[in-house]
Amino acid sequence: VIRRILRQIALLLLLALVPGLVSEAVQTRHRVQKPLAAGEIRAATARQWGDQVQWVDARPPERFEAGHIPGAFRFRVEEWDALLSQFLDVWDLDKTVVVYCDGGDCDASRALADRLREELQIKNVYVLQGGWPEWQAK
Amino acid sequence: MRARHLFSAVLLLLSCASSRAGLEWSKPVQEFQTTPDQSSVEARFAFRNTGQTPVTIKSMKTSCGCTTASLEKKQYLPGEQGEVVAVYKFPFQKGSLRKIVTVATDEAGAAPQVLDIRVMVQEPFEIKPALVVWRAGGPVEGKGVQLLAKGGHPVRVKSVSSSNPRLSARLETVKAGEEYSVLVTPTDTASKEAAVISVVTDFPADAPKTYTIHARIK
Repeated sequence: VIRRILRQIALLLLLALVPGLVSEAVQTRHRVQKPLAAGEIRAATARQWGDQVQWVDARPPERFEAGHIPGAFRFRVEEWDALLSQFLDVWDLDKTVVVYCDGGDCDASRALADRLREELQIKNVYVLQGGWPEWQAK
Repeated sequence: MRARHLFSAVLLLLSCASSRAGLEWSKPVQEFQTTPDQSSVEARFAFRNTGQTPVTIKSMKTSCGCTTASLEKKQYLPGEQGEVVAVYKFPFQKGSLRKIVTVATDEAGAAPQVLDIRVMVQEPFEIKPALVVWRAGGPVEGKGVQLLAKGGHPVRVKSVSSSNPRLSARLETVKAGEEYSVLVTPTDTASKEAAVISVVTDFPADAPKTYTIHARIK
């Protein structure tokens, strides 16, 4: 009798494991393919564009100095008045602007991208989904 | 017989509604109008526990590091009121902004409550676009920039000047104090050029602001 009960418990545990594993697999897939918010772009897509991207690093100077995407222009929205003219000097009409910050709940890249789009009406401006950590991860 | 069934159905509905009710939010969407001088807003989201059991707030997630949310305590008894105080900081940002706070409770089956903060940061004087660009070698034509007084105050343009004589700027008054336009024209587009066009206004009276239009031949 005990063996039968143990077998039934084992069977129940096994049955419970299946939906758990399916759920985990779905969630893992969902994490990898997080939907893009409006105006966002994935690192893989930006990499495919190669040198047609003007990278803009919206992080604080010390974070930029510690490491950044090659060729990135350091530009925080707090420095809009001071750095806009320099940015426009390096900006290329034919390149797509991709702004990044530290990912997660960082808002600096979105804030800068919004001003570039709305005030200057530069059309090809994106925010890098996941920011600098996402770029480094691949 | 039919009346008794109807009565039972109403009782059942009422009991379901009663057991579902938990925190009721009086104003989950809040809108603010500000100027660039203001760099943050504080939104107070009041709620009341209208259910029969205590409700515990398990988590409050903000949509960015620029927003904080605080609460006096976590558990609220039936009939008790509370308030989530959210502070959204947006230094140097303009235009239409939006952040959310997601509040999760221990109510069985209750979806998290989304608290919505919407902010419109409006300059008293709007310049659109603040950048005019020509391609080197492209057609030589003037490009217009619209200047609009916003926020109900008349703003007069006192002068417009360009830092580069190869990119001239001409002011046209559409309606004094309300609407102007600036026509920026290059002498030619043969070479790359840059100009800063300064728009001097009379507002605010104690410290009149100067706005900038950037012009580039790329």
